[in-house]
Formats: sequence, C-alpha cells, structure tokens
Amino acid sequence: MNEELDSQLSAMFDDELPEAECQLLARRLSRDEALKARWRRYAIIGAAVRAERGVRLDTNLAARVSAALSAEPALVAGPVVEPRVRRGGTRWWQPVAGLGIAAGVAALSVFWVRSHVPVGSEALVVDNAAPTAAVGTAPATVEGTEGEIYVVPTNVEPRTFVPPAALANYVLAHSEFSTPVSRRNLLSALVASESGTSDDADGSDGAVDETAAVEDPSENVDQAQ
Amino acid sequence: MSADVSDLSLVRRVQRGDKGAFDALVLKYQHKVVKLVMRYVRNPAEAEDIAQDAFIKAYRALPQFRGDSAFYTWLYRIAINTAKNAVVSRDRSPVDFDLDLQNPDESYDMQGRLKDSETPEALTLTEEIRSTVNSAIDALPEDLRTAIVLRELEGLSYEEIAQAMGCPVGTVRSRIFRAREAIDRRLREVFEGGLGRAEELG
Repeated sequence: MNEELDSQLSAMFDDELPEAECQLLARRLSRDEALKARWRRYAIIGAAVRAERGVRLDTNLAARVSAALSAEPALVAGPVVEPRVRRGGTRWWQPVAGLGIAAGVAALSVFWVRSHVPVGSEALVVDNAAPTAAVGTAPATVEGTEGEIYVVPTNVEPRTFVPPAALANYVLAHSEFSTPVSRRNLLSALVASESGTSDDADGSDGAVDETAAVEDPSENVDQAQ
Repeated sequence: MSADVSDLSLVRRVQRGDKGAFDALVLKYQHKVVKLVMRYVRNPAEAEDIAQDAFIKAYRALPQFRGDSAFYTWLYRIAINTAKNAVVSRDRSPVDFDLDLQNPDESYDMQGRLKDSETPEALTLTEEIRSTVNSAIDALPEDLRTAIVLRELEGLSYEEIAQAMGCPVGTVRSRIFRAREAIDRRLREVFEGGLGRAEELG
C-alpha cells in the first residue's frame, strides 16, 4: 500500500484533506476494498479510544446496509445542489430589481383603486356622515338611504400626551439642548393638562403640585431663550 | 480546512449513483450512530437494527441533502428520529401471551436475538480489539500518542493540535498517520484472528 495514499486517507478520515484531493480519494475509496477496510479500522480505532461502551467494535453495519440496499437502484445522477454560498458583488442587481417590482406593484395598486372606487359615491358619503352623528355613543347601526346598514364604531377620545411632572421637569431643565419646536409642544401639552385638571371637580393636590413644580423650569427656559 | 469536506465528497458521489461511497460513510459513522441510538435503546443488537434503519433512510433521503449542514449533523437527526419512532412503535406493539404459552422458546426469541451481540465470542472480540488498541497506544512514542489522543478523544482539529503541541500542522498530520499505522498493524492481527475464530464458531 502506498504510504502517501494511506496518509491522505488518514487526513481524509479527519476531514483535514484539501477538497480536490478528497474528491479523488473518495472516488478511489468507494471502489478499493482494501482501502475501505483500512478506513473501517480507522473508525474502529477511534471508537476504541473513545471507549464507546456497549458498541460492538467489530460491527459491520455497512455490509448489512449494503445488502439491504442492493435491491434498490442507485440514486439518480443529476445536478447536485450545492450549498448556498453568498458571493459579494454577484447579486448587486437584486435590491434594484426588488425596488422595481415594489414600485410596479404600488403603481398598479393605485391605478386599480382609482378605477374601481368612484370618488363621491354614496358609500363614501355614508361613511363620512355616520361617525359625526354618532360621536361619543356606543356602536350603533345607521340605516342608509337605500336600506344599507352600517356599523358605526364608538368614538375614541383623541389621546393627548401628558408627560409626568418629573419627566417634564427633566426635559425643561435640559431644554437648552432641545429645539424650540419641541419645547413649545411640551409646554402646550403641560398647559393643556393643567387646564384639564383645574376644570376637574376633584382637582387633586398631586396634580396641582406637579404642574406647579413645572412652572419654574419653564420660566428658566424663557429666560434662556 | 473547511469542515465536512471529506464527507461531502463521499455524499456527492452517492448522489451521483455511487453506492460504494455510501459504504465509506456507514463505516465511518456506524459506531457513533449505534452509540447515539443506545441513548434510547439499551440493547446493543436492537440499537444496531435501528442504526441500520437510520442509514437506509439516510441513503434514500440523500438526494434531498443540500449540504447546508454537516453530513453527520443531518445523519444524527435521522438516527434520533428513527430511534424515537422505534421506541414508540415497540411500546405500542401488544405482547402476545398465547405465543409464550404455546411455545415457550419463542418468548425468548426476541431477547435471545437481542443478546446476539453480547454472545461471549462477540464480547471477547470487542474486548480484544479494545485492549489491543489501548496497549498499542500505550506503546506509542509520546508525541504520537498525544496527537492521536487529542484527535480521537478530544476531537481537536489538526490546527488546534498543532497549537497545543507547538508544531506545524503537517507534523500533526504525519504523527496521527504514524500512530494510526502502528495501531492498525496490531489491530489487523487481532481482527483477522478474531474473524477467523468467529467463522469457526459460526
């Protein structure tokens, strides 16, 4: 036996042989019974070193499997699916093509909607009119002029963002780093919340205290401006 | 070195219709698969049957193997599933007590068959192989012994062994090969003698 060949076989057994050599040796290994026997003994050595208890070291499942598969035809030779490997630069066109497809679909959707939904039709009139009539009520059914029934959703109060006093204090204290627009938004939200709480019948002390605590930093902001 | 290259070379050959390449894959992984199956099935002979089934299923499924994962990882999943299914179907199969009463020897057929792999000669051969390999490893020079143990026991790559031993990768490859050859020389004598004995006994 060629020593170089055996050395290659040992390296191949350990997955340490270059691919080109592997392919050549795999071809020989599949046909050469002596080489296959050596390959088998290499596997036995590994199993013995690992002390795989309960496993018969002289087992020859290959013979049994081969006998079981002997009646079956060999696998059909065909194009082998290689593992997917990303190669940079070869797929530059994919994002462009994706954008193009997305733009096309969007344009088609717009045209389709325009051609199928008549502007100013009765359906739209009913949709627009119904919620105004039912603001602040439970879901109600509105009967259209032509006997059509629509379910009007309950009116949902628009939520105003009222920042907690601590957060507002923090933002205002550091407002020299913020833009005038954001300062104005925050101040208007605070004013709105203050007026809301003063209108409340109970007018809890905590709410008053929080808004009072905000007053001072806002003045600082004005001075800073 | 990219992992799984050698397995993939064999797999590609099988996918092109070369059954002999599949033998090499079975020979390489048969012990590992049997060991794996024995997590579910205690009996070695039953484990071998299930492992055989797993290899057959793997062969039939190989056209769908894309190589996205390592071959052994893929085979491992097949073996686990085959073992689980075997355990479930075994648990579901009813025990036929009539058969036991009519022919008491039949009731031991399954157990007897399962114990085939634990027959004295089989156990002796396995133990002889194991002790031969171990004594051959003990007799190796230190550098060869370290290289083969790091490879087979610890599963280190040649690069990792080279770092651990402070030598080039080429030297590691040579040391592992020489270690295997030394062990193999002893193993062949025992193996051929063992097979001869087995044939006489059989």
